[in-house]
Amino acid sequence: MSQARTFPRGGVRPPDRKSLSEDQPIRKACVPSFALLPMRQHAGEPARCLVSPGERVREGMLIGRAEGPGAANVHASVPGLIREVLEVVLPSGARTPAVRIELDGEFECTGRPQTARNWREFIRHELLERIEEKGVVGLGGGQPTAAKLRAAGRPQLLLVNGVESEPYLTADHRLLVEKAAEVLTGAQIVASLFELEPAQVLLCITEDRRQTLASAHGQAAALGFRVEPLAARYPQGEEQQLRLALAGGLDALVLNVGTLLAIYEAVVWGTPLIERVVTVSGSAVRRPSNLKARLGTRLRELVEDCGGLAGRPERIVVGGPLRGFAVADLEAPLTKEMAGVLLLGRGELRARGSGTAGEAACIGCGRCIEACPWGLRPLELYHWIREGEPRELRRLGLERCTECGCCAYVCPSRIPLVRWLAGGRWL
Amino acid sequence: MISAPHLHAGPTSRRMMLSVVVCLLPAGLWAVVRYGPPALYVLLASIAASLLTELAIAALAFRRFTLGDGSAALTGLLIGFTLPPAVPLYVPIAAAVFAIAVVKMTFGGLGRNWMNPALGGRVFVMFSWPVFFHASPAAGRADSLLRWIWNGTPGAIGDVSATLLVLGSVYLFVRRIIRWETPAAFIGSFSLAVWAFAGLPHGFFRGDLPLYLLTGGLLLGALYQATDPVTSPLTRVGRLVFGAGCGLLAFLVRRFGPYAEGVAPAVVFMNMLVPLINRLTRRAAC
Amino acid sequence: MLNLRDNPLLLYALGICPALAVSTRVDNALVMGLLVLVVLMGTTLVMAALEPVLPEALRLPLALVAAAGLVTAGDLFLRTYLPGLREGLGIYVQLVAVNCLLVGRTETGRRRLSEAAPEAFGQGAGFCLGLLLVALVREVLGAGTISLFPVGSFSGTLRIGGLAEQPVRILLLAPGAFLVLGYLAALYNRSRS
Repeated sequence: MSQARTFPRGGVRPPDRKSLSEDQPIRKACVPSFALLPMRQHAGEPARCLVSPGERVREGMLIGRAEGPGAANVHASVPGLIREVLEVVLPSGARTPAVRIELDGEFECTGRPQTARNWREFIRHELLERIEEKGVVGLGGGQPTAAKLRAAGRPQLLLVNGVESEPYLTADHRLLVEKAAEVLTGAQIVASLFELEPAQVLLCITEDRRQTLASAHGQAAALGFRVEPLAARYPQGEEQQLRLALAGGLDALVLNVGTLLAIYEAVVWGTPLIERVVTVSGSAVRRPSNLKARLGTRLRELVEDCGGLAGRPERIVVGGPLRGFAVADLEAPLTKEMAGVLLLGRGELRARGSGTAGEAACIGCGRCIEACPWGLRPLELYHWIREGEPRELRRLGLERCTECGCCAYVCPSRIPLVRWLAGGRWL
Repeated sequence: MISAPHLHAGPTSRRMMLSVVVCLLPAGLWAVVRYGPPALYVLLASIAASLLTELAIAALAFRRFTLGDGSAALTGLLIGFTLPPAVPLYVPIAAAVFAIAVVKMTFGGLGRNWMNPALGGRVFVMFSWPVFFHASPAAGRADSLLRWIWNGTPGAIGDVSATLLVLGSVYLFVRRIIRWETPAAFIGSFSLAVWAFAGLPHGFFRGDLPLYLLTGGLLLGALYQATDPVTSPLTRVGRLVFGAGCGLLAFLVRRFGPYAEGVAPAVVFMNMLVPLINRLTRRAAC
Repeated sequence: MLNLRDNPLLLYALGICPALAVSTRVDNALVMGLLVLVVLMGTTLVMAALEPVLPEALRLPLALVAAAGLVTAGDLFLRTYLPGLREGLGIYVQLVAVNCLLVGRTETGRRRLSEAAPEAFGQGAGFCLGLLLVALVREVLGAGTISLFPVGSFSGTLRIGGLAEQPVRILLLAPGAFLVLGYLAALYNRSRS
């Protein structure tokens, strides 16, 4: 049994909490009666809205066109009538126009036999166009995938990211258990784009999941891919940490398993990105599940799909518990970048002293330095941000910070370091 | 606005402070048993003065209530531990007021001071009322096991039982509230210096190690005082250097100076060098 | 103009070397302060009188010579009439000649007599008062006494009962000097703003 590889320094080992949902097979969520689709479900500029109230849309129809850097197409996730175009505030705080569709009419994609294309028939730029046209974005971080692939140059490795190192989240895990064939086909498609040999494709999983992912392992090996078990540390699932662990000095392209599935769906079946697998978990939800849900479904409906609330949640988090956004209610819509919806109860937050003590003074304990995967010194950065000295911040390397949250996770004074560090970039 | 991460690990800083207080209580109680009510009054006086001073200054100067972080109580307790049980009460009160008002609050409160507050207070009273702090002749060799539990040599309140101090520190090491580098280097270099030089002028390598370790506040200083995170270096190598320096200086002051202990001046001096140590060990592994 | 608001000792930290050294007793501080005032005034008068004919390059040397002369005169006076106290002041008497307060005045102070004289007086008096204040705090708390001059049946020293037995001795040492000066300067600055 080989030693699991990992990134060289820092990192933390938060409690896993995946047992709540990791054995729950992916289940289709109910189709919502209203879908609220933001024009910005990706990391860049909002798409330009192509529809107006009163129009009818079909399932999978293009309703927002990507214009501007970092934008991606947005498609209607349900057929129906455009009720209004309004501005919404996303959990991240960003404002964006959004389209509200009232469900009505026939489903053209779902439930009907579709024609599969042989992906090998496409030439390179056709593949990229399909991926772009169908609005595929990185389901881990929101970067438009076609743009990412176009900018990738000549990578020598493709890392299939099935690590999912944040607690509670199990969507990617279930995808590997149930849909490994499709995910790996997506990987083949991407490998072909860059003329990579099968041995240059690495399926990255955590070592404590080797047993449960034996089937995926087998399928990957059958295709000639390598399988790399990695240590279960956070933030192993981040692109840079994967590269540090596996790539050596080589140029590596990293894609999340959910994204690869979306690529497969887009290329082979022509399906635009209109649904995703999301983990709904936490002690305050009755039946933690992995739902395959339509984009635009309000989170409240997803929770109802899981049996509703089991008590009052102390905090609602969209995303993972270490990087996600706290929201005040469940009215936000499901978007492409949401990997999880966590209903956290008092016990889960208090168990480790979170949320109790307010922000105290920095005592210089240095735990944040030990935790930082980049070898930065968060307490010094914090000090200089408070003093307002951008030159010192540059000298200390603030631009390398990826806001992974390891420093704030270990801080005994519960200083919201991520918020400070993010603010420091604006100095 | 609540921001990520939404989970945290380890004890909060308040819990860390209170843990240290709790770990010191056995030794404190034993001291009260051994030395009687005067020891209790000294401890209470220093804790009370510490709390009141911080309460007043935080309210007047910072307009905040800071007693909740537990550091003032801990400072008061540690000050009491460094004092002999028979001092008049103005001594612990003066030490506490100096420690909190001058050493800690003048620089901005918790986390901003460069000098260890309790030891700063101790140095203040050591130089102000030296008559209470002269070296007392060591009553015989301290090599019996009993000494580890019951220190017959009158000294500071915290000197009363090496065993209880060490036992209390085990929990703190396990929870990583105290890092091992500083105490290890401190005790290590101190022991080495004692063994090599304490026997002078009779010769080298004849030092009475148990005596030096059990009296003079060494264990208290090495385990509980020098390990104060605010005034310690940030890196492992840095802490080793810091501890080693403390040990050497503590020995020099103790052996060749007129005072009963050298821990306080030594640590306070090394505190001054911590920013330099941090800068020099920046690249070192943590 | 007579400026008593900008205290050279507490605001500008001029002349803190003698201030820290001699402020262990009130009588020492008083004598030192008055000496500085006298030398300051005298030097200013000499400089102002010679201003019309004095080349720029000779200003500083002349000031030092004048100061040295006045200090020597003062020193002789003290040795004659206050020998014990003169012993206590040690080398700091001679150092008044190169006190930065004085030298600084030479370069940046006003030139015309009608303006220079009040300015010098203000600075000298300010220094003296600041010094007295520091000495008062240090001696009262650090020794429990206030040392003044014997007059008639008064021995010259006031003792403050409890404090004199066990004073806060550190205040008479160097760290205490910095502490007292620092906090007084802080309080003074606070009261100005």
